[in-house]
Amino acid sequence: MENAAFLPVAFEVVLLAGALIVLLVAVVAGRDRRFWGPVAGLAFAAAGAVGFLQFQEVLNGDGPGLYFSSMDLTITRSPMVVMDGYSAFAAIVLGVVGFVGLLAAWDLVVAVGRRGPEFVSLALLAVAGLHMMAASPNLVVIFLGLETASIAFYVLAGFARRETGSEESALKYFLLGSLASALFLYGVALSFGATGSLTIYGANSIRDFFSTDIITEPGILLAGMALMLLGLSFKVSAAPFHQWAPDVYQGAPSGAVGLMAAGVKVAGFAAIGRIFVGGFVSQIDTWAPIIAVIAALSMIIGTVLALVQSDLKRLLAYSGVAHAGYILTGLVAGIDGIPAMWFYVATYSLMVIGAFAVISVVEGPASGAAPLESFRGLARRNGELGWIMAILMLGMSGMPFFAGFVGKLLAFVAAASVDNPWPDGSNGYLWLVVIGTLTTVIGLAFYLRVIATMFRDDGPESEVQAGLAARFAIVISAVTTVVFGIVPFPLLDVVRDALPL
Amino acid sequence: MLPILAWLVLLPVIGAAVVAVIPAQRRELLLPVGVGVSMAPLGVAGYLLWQFQTGPEFQFGSDVTLSSALDIGWRVAVDGISLFLIVLTALLFPIAIAASRSVTERLKAYLVLMLILEAGVLGVFIALDLLLFFAFFEIVLVPMFLLIRLWGSENRAYASIKFVLFTAAGSAFLLASIVALAVITGDAVGSFTSFDFRDMLAFEISETAQLWLFLGFAIAFAIKVPLFPFHTWLPDAHTEAPTAGSVILAGVLLKMGTYGLIRFNMTLFPQATVDLGFWLALLGVIGIIYGAAVAIVQPDVKRLVAYSSVSHMGFIILGMFALTSQALEGSVFQMISHGLTTGALFLLIGMIYDRTHTRKIADYGGLASVMPVYAGIFLFSAFASAGLPGLSGFIGEFTVLVGSWLTYPALAVIAGGGVILAAIYLLWAYERMFTGPTNPKLSGLSDLGLREISIMVPLVVLIVVLGVYPKPVLDRIEPSTDIILDRIERVTGYEPAEFGRADEVVEPEYGVIEHGGDESGSEGGD
Repeated sequence: MENAAFLPVAFEVVLLAGALIVLLVAVVAGRDRRFWGPVAGLAFAAAGAVGFLQFQEVLNGDGPGLYFSSMDLTITRSPMVVMDGYSAFAAIVLGVVGFVGLLAAWDLVVAVGRRGPEFVSLALLAVAGLHMMAASPNLVVIFLGLETASIAFYVLAGFARRETGSEESALKYFLLGSLASALFLYGVALSFGATGSLTIYGANSIRDFFSTDIITEPGILLAGMALMLLGLSFKVSAAPFHQWAPDVYQGAPSGAVGLMAAGVKVAGFAAIGRIFVGGFVSQIDTWAPIIAVIAALSMIIGTVLALVQSDLKRLLAYSGVAHAGYILTGLVAGIDGIPAMWFYVATYSLMVIGAFAVISVVEGPASGAAPLESFRGLARRNGELGWIMAILMLGMSGMPFFAGFVGKLLAFVAAASVDNPWPDGSNGYLWLVVIGTLTTVIGLAFYLRVIATMFRDDGPESEVQAGLAARFAIVISAVTTVVFGIVPFPLLDVVRDALPL
Repeated sequence: MLPILAWLVLLPVIGAAVVAVIPAQRRELLLPVGVGVSMAPLGVAGYLLWQFQTGPEFQFGSDVTLSSALDIGWRVAVDGISLFLIVLTALLFPIAIAASRSVTERLKAYLVLMLILEAGVLGVFIALDLLLFFAFFEIVLVPMFLLIRLWGSENRAYASIKFVLFTAAGSAFLLASIVALAVITGDAVGSFTSFDFRDMLAFEISETAQLWLFLGFAIAFAIKVPLFPFHTWLPDAHTEAPTAGSVILAGVLLKMGTYGLIRFNMTLFPQATVDLGFWLALLGVIGIIYGAAVAIVQPDVKRLVAYSSVSHMGFIILGMFALTSQALEGSVFQMISHGLTTGALFLLIGMIYDRTHTRKIADYGGLASVMPVYAGIFLFSAFASAGLPGLSGFIGEFTVLVGSWLTYPALAVIAGGGVILAAIYLLWAYERMFTGPTNPKLSGLSDLGLREISIMVPLVVLIVVLGVYPKPVLDRIEPSTDIILDRIERVTGYEPAEFGRADEVVEPEYGVIEHGGDESGSEGGD
C-alpha cells in the first residue's frame, strides 16, 4: 500500500466503528436505547463532519488526490480511494441523509424493540457502502460499496417481519436487486476486457487508455458501458428499470423507506457521475444519448403512472422515477451537469426523507400500504404536519421558491447548453428540456392532489401526533426545502466545487 | 434599507407573517389586520405613482446579482406599463380582502394565501430578470389553486385542478423558452447563461429562434389571458372561485398574460411579432365575438361576467398586435379599466350571492325595487364594462378600435360588434335581474350596507375619473409603449399606418434609472 492516509477513508471508518460500537453497547446495555441510540446519531454527524473536513482539505489544502494505490505489478498502481470535491460533497450529503433518515426511522427503531441495534447498525453499514460508490476510482470497489449498501437495505426492507408486505418487499428487492448488481458486475468485466483497466484515474487507467488508444471495434466497450448504466439505473429506479420501486416502497416499513430511497439515489447518481462523467468522459457522445433516452422515459413513465396511484408510497415511488429522469437530464451535459446533479440530489433526498417520515407518522412506522384516503383532512388533524407535507409536495413538484425548482432549473439549463441548441436546433438536448418542463406540469396534478386531499374537511377524526425525532426530521427537511428554494446561492457555490477529479 | 421595489414584494409577505401569528382566540382581529397589512403595498404603489417621471425609462431600478454563475439577479424596475398594473394590484387586493366577510372557515390561512398571492403578482410586474419573472409567474398558481380548492363553490375540485393544469401547461413552454433564451443570450454576451432582460435586448436574436421562442412565450401568456381557444379554464375557475378570488383573477391575474406579451414577446422578438401579429389579433377578435356571444346565453350571472372577460381581453390583444401607437396605448389602458370594471362586477355578484346563495339569473327579478343602491351601482358597473362614453371602459376600447382600424380595418369593424354585444348581454342581464315583478323570495333582502358601499366607492370613483380625464394615465403609458413600437419599427423595418407611428424615442434606450443609492448590493430580498 502506498499513500495511505486516514482522512480519505475517515467517513467509512467512522460509520463502521459506529456500527460495531452500537452492537457492542447493545450487548452490554441491552435494550436501553439511551445508550446506543446517541452513538448512531453521533456516528452520522461525525461522518458528515468528516465530509466537511474533506471538502476543506480538497479546496484549501493539498487538493484532490488518489490514495491506497496497489503495489500489484500486473495492474500497476491502481488507486482504491479518491478524495476530491465530488467524494467530499457525497460524504456531506450522505452524513446528513443518514442523520435525518435515522431521526425519521426512530419510531421504527422503537417499534422493533430488541432488534433496534441491528436496524441502526445496518443503516450505518449501508451508508458507509453508499459512500464507497462515490469515493472510489476502482470499479470493483464501487461494486463492493454497492453490494454492502444493497444487502443492508434488503434486510431493512424486510425489517417489519410480521407484515407479509414487508417480507414480499424484501424478497422482491433482493431478487431484482441482485440481478441488477450482477449486470453491473458483468458490465465492469466487459469494460475491463475492452480497456484493460478497472480504475478510472491514475496510470493505466480507463482515462489513460482512451487518451492513447483508439477503439476500432467498440462492441464490448459499448456492452460494458450499457450494462453498468443499466445496473445503476436500476438502483436509482430510472425507467424502464423502475418496476421494483413501487412494490418495495409500498411493502417496506414506512420508517425505513426514506433512508433507503434517499441514500440509494444519492450514491447511485454519484456512481453514474463518477464512472461516466469521470471515467468514460471521452465517450460522452456514446453514452449521453442513452442517458437522455432513459431520462425522457423516466420523466414520462414516472409522471404518468404517479397520476393514477391511490397509495401515497407508490405515488412517491413513481415520482421518484420521474425525479431520476430530471437528474439524468442534467447529466447529459457531462461535467457541466454535475453541479445540477448534486444540488438536485442533496435537496431531493431530504424531501423524500421528510415525506416518508410524514407517512410513517400518519400510518405507523412499521406500516406497509399508505392509501391516500388516510391522509384526508390531515391538515385539520395536525396542522403542522399538513402544512409541512404541502411544502414538501410543492418542493418536489418544482414550484419556484422551493428547492426542487432550483434543481430542475439547473438540470434544464445544463441540458439546454449542450452544443448551443440554437439556431440549428439539431444537436442540443432542448427536446429533453421540453419533456422535462411538460412532465413537471403533469406532475403538479398529483402533488396538488395530495395537498388537496390533506386540506379536505372530511376524513378520519383520529388525532395524529409525531414523535420528537420524527418531528425533527420533518422540520429539517421542510426548512431546507424552503431555504434552499429562496436562497439557493450558497449551496450553488458549493456544488460548483463538488466536481470529480 | 432595502430598495423601494423590494418592499413592494416583501410587505405582503411580512403582512402574511403578521396575520399568521394572530392567536386563535382573537379571530375577530384577522380580517381588519388582513385589510390593514394589504394596504401597505398600496402605500408603496402610491409613492411610485407620485415619484414616477413621465418617460420611457425604467425607474426605481435595482440590480443585485444573486448567482454570478448563471447570471440570475434581483433585477427589478418599473415603467409606464407596469406602474399602473402595480397600482391596480395594490388597490384591488385590500378591496378583495375587505369583501371577504363571508369567509368564516380557516380565515387565517385564507388571508395568508391572499397576501402571498399579492406578493407574487406584484413580483411579476416588476421583474426584469426572466427567471425572477418566471418564479413569480408560477408561484401565483399555488395560492390561487388553494383559494379556489378550499373556499370555492360546489364544483371547485374540478375547476381548481383545471385552472392549474391549463396555466401550468403554458408555463412549461415558458420555462423551456426562457432556458433556451438564457443560453442564447449567454452565448451572445459571453457568459454561460444570462437571464438579464437588458442583455437580451442588446443583441439580435436570429429569426428562427425568434419564431420558436415567441411561440413558447405566447402559449404561456395566451392561456393566462386567456386568448381563444385557450379560454376554457376561465369560466370554471371564475365561477367556482370565492368572490375575492374572482376579483383578483379577473382584475390582475389575467393581466399577467397581457403584460407578458407586451413586455417580453413584443419587446424581445420584434420580427416574430410583425410576422405573427395578425394571427394573434385575429384570435383576439374571435375571442371578442365568441366571448360576447356565449355570455349572452349564460344562465349564471357569474359565468356571464367570466365570458365577458374573454371578450374584453380580446380587445387588449387586438390593440397590442395592431402595432400602432394608439392601439397599444389603449390596450394597456384597457387592462387597467377591465380590472376596475370586472372587479366591480364580481364584487357586486359576491355581495348578492352572500344574501341569496344563488347565481342563477332566473332566480332574480325586480331587485331594483328591493335594493335600489345595489341596482344603481350594478347598472353603473355594467355601463362601464360595456364601454359607455364618459366611463373608463370607453377610453380603452375606443382607442384600441381607432388604433387597430389603421392596421386591420376589417378586424376593427368586427371587434366594434363586440361593444354592441356587450351592451346586449349586460343590459339584458340587468333587465332580467333588476326589473319586472319582484321575486317574492327576494323581498326581504337588505340593501348594501355602509361597509359594502365603501368597498365599491374607490372603484366607482376611479372608473369615472379615468373615463373623464384619462390624460395623466395615458401620458405616462405612452412613452413606454412607444419605445416598444419604435424598436419594432427600427429592427424590422415595419411601417405602420401613417398616424399609428410611434414617436421617435430619444436615447438612452431602455435606460434604468437607479433610485436613491440602491447599489449597496448586499441584500437580495424576496
